[in-house]
Amino acid sequence: MFRTIYDRLASLTFGLWLTFGVIFFLGIGSFWGGGEEGSSINEMALLQWLRVTSFGTSWWLWVTVALLAILALNTVLCSIESLRAKWQRDNFLVRIAPQVMHLGFLLIVLAHLFSAAGSEKGAVQVMEGHAIEFPDGSRVQFNNFQGSIGQMGMMTDFSADVSISAHGIEKTHTISPNHPAFHNGYGVYLKDLGLERVKAALVEIHREPGAGAALAGALLFTIGNVVLLAVRRGR
Amino acid sequence: MKWVLIGVAGLYLFGSFKRPLLLAGVVVELFYLAWRGMDLGRLPLVGPHDTLVFFSTSIGVMGVPFLYSKTLGESSRFTFGVGLCAGIFTLLSLPFPSFNMPMPPILRTYWFELHVALAFFAYALFGIGAILGVLFLAKNERPLLDLQYRAALVGYSFFSASMVSGGIWGYYAWGTYWLWTPKELWTSILWLFYSFWLHLRLKGNQWDKWVAWGGIFGFAVALFTYLGVSILMKSSHSF
Repeated sequence: MFRTIYDRLASLTFGLWLTFGVIFFLGIGSFWGGGEEGSSINEMALLQWLRVTSFGTSWWLWVTVALLAILALNTVLCSIESLRAKWQRDNFLVRIAPQVMHLGFLLIVLAHLFSAAGSEKGAVQVMEGHAIEFPDGSRVQFNNFQGSIGQMGMMTDFSADVSISAHGIEKTHTISPNHPAFHNGYGVYLKDLGLERVKAALVEIHREPGAGAALAGALLFTIGNVVLLAVRRGR
Repeated sequence: MKWVLIGVAGLYLFGSFKRPLLLAGVVVELFYLAWRGMDLGRLPLVGPHDTLVFFSTSIGVMGVPFLYSKTLGESSRFTFGVGLCAGIFTLLSLPFPSFNMPMPPILRTYWFELHVALAFFAYALFGIGAILGVLFLAKNERPLLDLQYRAALVGYSFFSASMVSGGIWGYYAWGTYWLWTPKELWTSILWLFYSFWLHLRLKGNQWDKWVAWGGIFGFAVALFTYLGVSILMKSSHSF
């Protein structure tokens, strides 16, 4: 019986059905996820959102996550079976490239799990010269707000200096859109700046614990992909 | 400068029957893009007008190596498919006004340009894969399906790289490499669909017709991801 279950779990056909299932329920979710309750999904960690949101809103995501978990297991087992079957046949790169891509995919899934469990997001408005404090006692002070207005009256560029003090050491960074400052796993993002009357900035603090694993997974996937393209060239 | 695009669309559509005209259309549209890029001081990749022009140029450019592949030889049907596809998307760009304002600071990064450009190269290759799928269903010649696989595999590689660069940009711009918005969901659906399709090929020759149809359906998913989501749904991506 275990053999039958293993064979089923490690089969390509089962993997195809699982992938189809994930596609199908993500598709439903793209139409279903609107409304006030659904739109809060990006404001908190995913697992927290799943806990606080009614099942009527989040059911498609529960099904997707369950299918994705089985798909991850299926990917692991298919990779093992593929390596075992081809070990004596194809050359090393042909054997290994798709499995490196599978490993990258698995790391990205794992990264999403880390982020779903531990991501944090907060927004705060700060005045020039003011500071915010992290729970560990470190302090972030915002200075030197600067911005330039374009011909059409729109803000074309803006930046702020941040001084991060922790354990008696102070480091200064300039933050602007696409250029956050990082401290202890937290990113400090400058979202908007107002220069009329008082200088004020909208700042977001993010923690994304899956980012490193996602990047590692993406790099592995890309390396495997490039090798696969090279070895399949002309075939 | 819309008259240039009308001319390009004409070259593409007449190029459906005369290959040199198709190549002329590609060259003229590349010049148009270069001119707009120099005028704006950046790659023209914002808004429906510029993205549709970039998309049709990508179809033309990506189609050129296939025009000269041994498998297709002098196939007039493939030339017709590429010319028609590129011509239609050039024409679709015409009703939309071009975005000439300065880029918002959040879009001024190479990660954004890489993310969008790679996505359109991928969409174009998925389109070429769909044309090859139609040709396979019409002629039932196996090499056409192999060529469809190559187009889709390279497209899938571009698309994966686009998702990676989008994730890196998102992390630096918004603090997260992933947002639960319809565009991200459909991007994942498209990526998963082509992952599904590439694995479906491993089932063997008896699935050839399904694979060919899958390549055609995949392009429909790509078009919905690009145009359908942007027009019908609320998302972090305007286009």
